Amino acid sequence: MKEKIKWFVILHIIILVYSLNSICSKTAAQYEFLSPKWIFFYAIVVCILGFYAIAWQQVLKHLPLITTYANKAVTTLWGLVWGFVIFHEGITIQKVIGAAVVILGVYLVVSGDEAGSAAKEDSKEDGNNA
Amino acid sequence: MLKYALIMLTGTFIASVSQIVLKKAAEKEYPNKLAEYLNPMVMGAYVVFFAASLCSVIGYKEVPLSLGPILEATGYIWVAILGRIFLKESISKKKALGLVVIIIGIIIASAGV
Repeated sequence: MKEKIKWFVILHIIILVYSLNSICSKTAAQYEFLSPKWIFFYAIVVCILGFYAIAWQQVLKHLPLITTYANKAVTTLWGLVWGFVIFHEGITIQKVIGAAVVILGVYLVVSGDEAGSAAKEDSKEDGNNA
Repeated sequence: MLKYALIMLTGTFIASVSQIVLKKAAEKEYPNKLAEYLNPMVMGAYVVFFAASLCSVIGYKEVPLSLGPILEATGYIWVAILGRIFLKESISKKKALGLVVIIIGIIIASAGV
């Protein structure tokens, strides 16, 4: 249980770092294409994506796919927070509801996927037993 | 802003294509570990993925940060459709419902910009 909580916390740290990627993308976008500052922030974007790809594989070894992907949808909420705090974007009720609905949708997609693959495994086993 | 939102959505589509290519590549047998990564399919997929991140940066010129990750959720839809076409993966009723819910969420959030 303790181990699961530890990996759950690590998962959310990774998701948080991944969400920083959008801050750097947005910051890079403020500068002229291929200017030194643009290259600097885009380089950070690439580094974060590289870190994310490696770290994600490690988390997948310890937590179920449904947990990882369903939680990843939290990036939509981080987008609202960073947009508000760093870029002074307004948080409208539609944005909050939209983000919540997207998270629900992602949960349904991922759990629907899990159910589909479990059913496939069952039918495979039935086939093997027959 | 619509133009930039479309560029961002195109990037999400491109990233989804690269995921399908990576999945196809993962199904193949390779003589060694190095060949698993250094083959045209995987390298091509990463180049495409790189292009997708560029689309995201260009899109953010006008798209608010608060909307970006929500638009990127369209990736789930593209992966489901492309997976159905190229990998013959099934779409369960629950998954299909989830995809519709994601679209509704994106529309609601976009209306609030």
